[in-house]
Amino acid sequence: MRRFTAALFLLGLGVMIAAIYQHIDFSNTAVNAGQAINAVAAEETGAANFVTSVVLAYRGIDTLLELTILFTAAMIGGMVLGRRRVDAPRDPDAGFILRTGADLLFPLLLVVGLYIILHGHLTPGGGFQGGVILAAAFFLPLLARPGITLIDQRVVSLVEGLAGATFIIIGLLAMFDGKEFLTPLLDKGELGALISAGTLPILYLAVGIKVGSELAGLLAHLAEAEALD
Amino acid sequence: MSLLVLMIVLPLLTAFLLSSIDRLSTFAARVMGPLVLLATAAIGLSVWPQLGDAPLAVQWGGFQAPLGITLYADQFGLLFALAMTIGTLLLWPRSTENQLRSSSLALLLAGTGSGLALSGDLFNIYVFYELMTVVSYGLIASRGTSGSFASTLRYLVISGFGAALALAGIALVYQATGTLNLAQLAQLAPEKLNNLQGFAAFVLMLVGFGVKAELFPVNMWVPEVYATASSRVSALLAGVVSKLALLIIMRLLILVFHQPEALTVLLVLGILGVVSGELAAWRARDLNRMLAFSSIGQLGVMFIALSIPGNAGIFAALAVMVHHLFLKPSMFLLAERWGGSIKGLAGAAKTSPLGAALFVLLSLSLIGVPPLPGFWAKLLVIMPLLALDQPLYYFAAFVILAAASLEANYLFRVVMKLYEKEPAATPHNAHATLDLATAVFLGAGLVAAVFMLIPLADRLDGIAAQASDVSTYIQTVAPQPLQSGGVQ
Repeated sequence: MRRFTAALFLLGLGVMIAAIYQHIDFSNTAVNAGQAINAVAAEETGAANFVTSVVLAYRGIDTLLELTILFTAAMIGGMVLGRRRVDAPRDPDAGFILRTGADLLFPLLLVVGLYIILHGHLTPGGGFQGGVILAAAFFLPLLARPGITLIDQRVVSLVEGLAGATFIIIGLLAMFDGKEFLTPLLDKGELGALISAGTLPILYLAVGIKVGSELAGLLAHLAEAEALD
Repeated sequence: MSLLVLMIVLPLLTAFLLSSIDRLSTFAARVMGPLVLLATAAIGLSVWPQLGDAPLAVQWGGFQAPLGITLYADQFGLLFALAMTIGTLLLWPRSTENQLRSSSLALLLAGTGSGLALSGDLFNIYVFYELMTVVSYGLIASRGTSGSFASTLRYLVISGFGAALALAGIALVYQATGTLNLAQLAQLAPEKLNNLQGFAAFVLMLVGFGVKAELFPVNMWVPEVYATASSRVSALLAGVVSKLALLIIMRLLILVFHQPEALTVLLVLGILGVVSGELAAWRARDLNRMLAFSSIGQLGVMFIALSIPGNAGIFAALAVMVHHLFLKPSMFLLAERWGGSIKGLAGAAKTSPLGAALFVLLSLSLIGVPPLPGFWAKLLVIMPLLALDQPLYYFAAFVILAAASLEANYLFRVVMKLYEKEPAATPHNAHATLDLATAVFLGAGLVAAVFMLIPLADRLDGIAAQASDVSTYIQTVAPQPLQSGGVQ
């Protein structure tokens, strides 16, 4: 019965998608928002990377919410995964090559991650992408040497909390100024310069650190899960 | 600038910082959450009177719609934002194991719920909805039992599926109109969405957002989740969160989707929800499951109310929603100590006489016995259904009446057990004082409503009229037309 319902549903969905596909004129869509943003973004936000202007300025509140989703997911992960029997087996040590590789990669990954975060308003990349690289930097040593505590979970939660709070507080500062929440502040500077686009790079730094610490914390929790025998 | 955004932002900020505050002082972390919610509720209440004259639109970050995101506050939206904030405050989770995380999650729920009620942008609504879903996973799982983990997993699968459908629907709307701003969609919809594509988008979004609103085919998670989550969480999910999902569907119906077929879909799914929910509740042998199934039935009544065209439908749906907002959380709180088989409830009235008396009162209102508010709410649904003079609408009215007699049957079965002379082998504990006090408070609200029916109905009618005023919505947001550059 259940299979029959599922099959019927899939059939319906398939027919509907096919019908819609027939109906839509893909060569001539009404989507003009991109052109509108291209026309005004540089002037309004001062970010050379227009994607960043959408992520942090035009739809900044969506980004804050995405950050919060990640925060919540990491917290729930900690809640569900944070159980381990004391005598549970761990994965074996990774061996010389992986250990050395992880040691060599650690500083490199930190630099690359930070570079991508700090140049988010100029070039492709930004807080989310750079944050993931930072998280990888902290996760590699954990893979190479299972069982070590590279970073304290409490430090992780402190860092991620403060990074998230920074994002919101920058938004609130605009309100003290009589503007709307998350209005970009500070001087927009010269388009394309490292220090430009007002508060957007600071926001991206907060995003990067938050994403990095959350993912690192979540991955550490996953690594803490009991190994299979 | 409006302080209203603080209703959304302050709870998020506190949730981020809560674990750091806890390190400094456990006491501060414990009182911080409720205090912040009190403050945001006060902000909401202070804005309330001025919204009666004219709704308010706030452009996040000061970027004009449609490129920026709009927050649109009318009394309808603010009513549910306040319900979310005050509801979370009243039903503040009390978990022995995960108190800190539960507090953070409750704050996040209050903030995102308020944001969802006040958002004026389709994609922003989707993100708020996603966040609220993730927060609900945490709240259900925070009980830490294997049963709650299993039901969370099922809920996760169904919600993920629903979210994908809703996103597909949003994509269809965006493809056809090029905008996500609800005010601009309201302008463009008659021309661009009054076709098959618009209808498909509506159905996808209805089923997607319907997961939380316990819509008929996508509500398989309901009984299991409400039976395994703590009753405060069940009360929040069934009482408030389901109404927020319904609110999105109402907004979409008012502003964007005007096809008569959309109303028929709502009517049919609503009828199926009432029938399946009430029959399952009738067969249930466990109080939590019974309440879960009956809430599916009540949400079905709301969908039927929504299918009534025009202002009368919005008004009726709003009345049933507000009634349910008070009633269901109260019932779930009473069920906290009355879990397990209904047979085991024999003689429970002796240990908690107040709780049993309250349960009788709530049951009577749920069934719709005059002069309790439940009766008037159902009357508001049934009268316009009959006035429409169409067979399917007649049938819906009949289904609602038949469901009331089913409700009477199964609820009185519980009441009879409660007042049975022979006590059960394992007597039930009395209710926790705080649970009972909250339940009595909500019940007292229902009784008070009996004495203020006329002004209350006027007020709700005013709110419904403001919510269904499309031209005011468009003028308040005033989205700039996008240059129609076309393809180059």
